[in-house]
Amino acid sequence: MEKNNVLKSWVEQYSEPLLKRAAYVLSDKDTAKDIVQDVFLAAFSSYESFEGKSKPLTWLMAILNRKVSDFYRKKYQSEPHITLDHFFDETGSWNNNEVLNDWDSSGKETHLLDDDDFNTTLEDCIEDLPSRWKIPLKMYYLQEKKAQEVSQELEISTTNLWKILQRSRLQLRECLDNNWFKKS
Amino acid sequence: MLKKFIHLLFLPCSEATLLMEKQNAGAISKTENRRLMLHLKICKWCRAYQQKLKILDDILKRKCSHKKETEINPSDIQEFKNKIAGKLDL
Repeated sequence: MEKNNVLKSWVEQYSEPLLKRAAYVLSDKDTAKDIVQDVFLAAFSSYESFEGKSKPLTWLMAILNRKVSDFYRKKYQSEPHITLDHFFDETGSWNNNEVLNDWDSSGKETHLLDDDDFNTTLEDCIEDLPSRWKIPLKMYYLQEKKAQEVSQELEISTTNLWKILQRSRLQLRECLDNNWFKKS
Repeated sequence: MLKKFIHLLFLPCSEATLLMEKQNAGAISKTENRRLMLHLKICKWCRAYQQKLKILDDILKRKCSHKKETEINPSDIQEFKNKIAGKLDL
């Protein structure tokens, strides 16, 4: 009976942080609910392996990570096809001079995030990325840029992770340039 | 024309920007780093991009770090809790 009581209190206490994190990484609340449900089912069936060495939430978050990775792997089994045509010409040179635009940001990045409008613009730009890139990008930053770990979990090569980060960042630069820096 | 020539000879910008990701993550090899440095010396576009990459990295580090969450409304969370409790027969 003890197990049931512990699980019950976990569901009560940790559903919220787990759901919020999952919804952030997956950019979809319904998928997040399905995945967190799997987390609790897994926690229930492997409860005996939880030794109390870490905090319950840490343990559950680790399970969540694995479930997100499973989801990603199943959804994107083939090698990603990443094209840079939008940014570079056939010789690999920049297509235009936009990259030279002045961001006038020396030392101001700290303040940028204090600006609600900037935060909204940034979030919109991130959400505009396809989920195939967005999920690794978010996991990369959530896990403090541990490239090796993220690529192992998602079962993508590190080379592909670099390509995904490169492609995402090129797009984020363009998006922020168009929607923020050019306007302010 | 000169720009194209130089870029092809050393390292195209499309690859330099990939090496920047590896450099940014501390995963660049010495040879790659030398090639990238040489490229940056002669390419003002990539120099400009590298600056922006650093700004983006800094913003994303702060923005997407540990506490990152998406808001979900309380009634959805309650509904979810009930559903799970039911499923697990708690």
